[in-house]
Amino acid sequence: MTISSYMKNQHRECDTHFAKSEEEAAKSNWEAAIAAFETFADVTLTHFKREEEELFPTFEEITGNAMGPTRVMRFEHEQVKGLIGKMAHALDDQDKDAYLSLSESMMILLQQHNMKEEQMLYAMCENLIPPELKEKTLEAMKQIVL
Amino acid sequence: MFSQQGLSLEQAPPIFVVLRFFFAGSLFGVMAGIALLFYREEIFDPSSVAAVTFTHILTLGVMLSFMFGALFQMLPVIAGVVLSTPVQKANFVQYPMIVGTLMLLWAFNFDAQSWIYAVAALLLGLSILYASGIMLQALIKLPNHSASSKGMTAALAALSIAVLLALYLVLIRGGYLDGSHYLAAKEAHYSLALFGWIGVLIISISFQVIEMFYVTPPYPPAASRTLAFVILGLLVLFGILAFVYPQLRPLKESLMALLLIVYALITLRRLSQRKRPITDATVWFWRIGMGSLVLSMLMLVARQFVSTEWIVGTSAIFYAAFALSVVFAMFYKIVPFLTWFHLNSQGYFAAPMMHEVIHPKIAKRHLWIHLATLVCLLLSQAFAPLTLVAALLMIFSFGQMSYLILHARRVYIKTQKEGERFDMGA
Repeated sequence: MTISSYMKNQHRECDTHFAKSEEEAAKSNWEAAIAAFETFADVTLTHFKREEEELFPTFEEITGNAMGPTRVMRFEHEQVKGLIGKMAHALDDQDKDAYLSLSESMMILLQQHNMKEEQMLYAMCENLIPPELKEKTLEAMKQIVL
Repeated sequence: MFSQQGLSLEQAPPIFVVLRFFFAGSLFGVMAGIALLFYREEIFDPSSVAAVTFTHILTLGVMLSFMFGALFQMLPVIAGVVLSTPVQKANFVQYPMIVGTLMLLWAFNFDAQSWIYAVAALLLGLSILYASGIMLQALIKLPNHSASSKGMTAALAALSIAVLLALYLVLIRGGYLDGSHYLAAKEAHYSLALFGWIGVLIISISFQVIEMFYVTPPYPPAASRTLAFVILGLLVLFGILAFVYPQLRPLKESLMALLLIVYALITLRRLSQRKRPITDATVWFWRIGMGSLVLSMLMLVARQFVSTEWIVGTSAIFYAAFALSVVFAMFYKIVPFLTWFHLNSQGYFAAPMMHEVIHPKIAKRHLWIHLATLVCLLLSQAFAPLTLVAALLMIFSFGQMSYLILHARRVYIKTQKEGERFDMGA
């Protein structure tokens, strides 16, 4: 398994839980919506942690650049975290319109973020990080839990 | 090497650059409705001044404005292309383009003197070639290309050739050149503009946004890697051949029809495979757009066997429905998202949610109006008074969009003035 495929699979997993939560909220099945949302938040935040604690520092070390793409990715992670908080509130309040509105923003934000990572950042990691270090980074990421 | 800026949404142009292109496009849409009120069923005669005027209000006024607005926004975000000083560049493009379009429409209608054609050609030629030039230059320099950025390159190349051909046509109409190649150049002009520019740009944008907005599997690489350049290549090849073998047109149109139908069917399939089961109005706008494209292309092939005015008109109406449906689908995602996104990125805690900028109910209502316009236009070929209804619906449709853009602008400015801001640490 490559870093790229490992991370892409996590993106897809996040999408699945997110879509489930959105669908349940649209039907006002709040319990199911909350359960799916909690899993989504859990998987997403773990994924961010893996990137921020392992992948990004490795990339920054190899390229000698901590102010470039990884900085932007970290910034977007913060935006996603902010939205997760607001969505959790909307779920608590069972405010369907607010939840669906926020989920729309979240989906676009996340998808464009994922695309940039998949098409550019992960591809760069695959090309620039030496094979041994790639394996080490992948193993280290797998150990990380929230 | 890695384009750092390509990853940064901070490099997106100011929101007003995008909004004002969309606003101009909407106002031209209102103008198209008004033109329809005056011309009525005359627009169905392809050789009439009414048809030429109506087509150019839609293509130059509406489509080009929306597409340039979308490109200014999307090039940095999805293709990693950064346009420096975007406001200045937008000024250079937009003002001459608006004045040039209005002068050209005037010239079509009022038997203008040749200098009006010449000034219109100069303004339109310079502004459009300047815009496509800077975008092409930035795209060509890209180290990492996606299917979308490659497709955008092909579309902008098609636009540039279409404009050069248009300049040639305008010089003939203005009496500056003799018209020996007029027909071949005219055919190449509209093929490149309709299929090469509008068609290929929509195709390349959808490679990215269908997956992004609706969470679908990506397009098959065989299609996303090749479609745009195959279409452009065929159009250029047949464009050149047409000067010697004008009888090849049916073959060209059949090939275009085949490729565009394949694209439309893949898109419909992808929409049915989306992970988000929620169906909003924009999904239906895409479906109507793709359905219209298939029908338009079937009519294009059919007219080789049964050439009636009705088939030609129906094919054109469906093609316009394809392009406008996609514009509407994008509009209802882009305007609310950008408003929220820009304010949120600036750290405004009370950044309005997407539904507060444009509520999905408004998009749903527009969907019905759009469908009604389409049906009225189709039926008006048999029952002419319906053009009046279609015209009024069109005016309402684009009038509402103009209002929504002003509303988004108002919400944006209000939040910036009154909203509490916190440091995002970036």
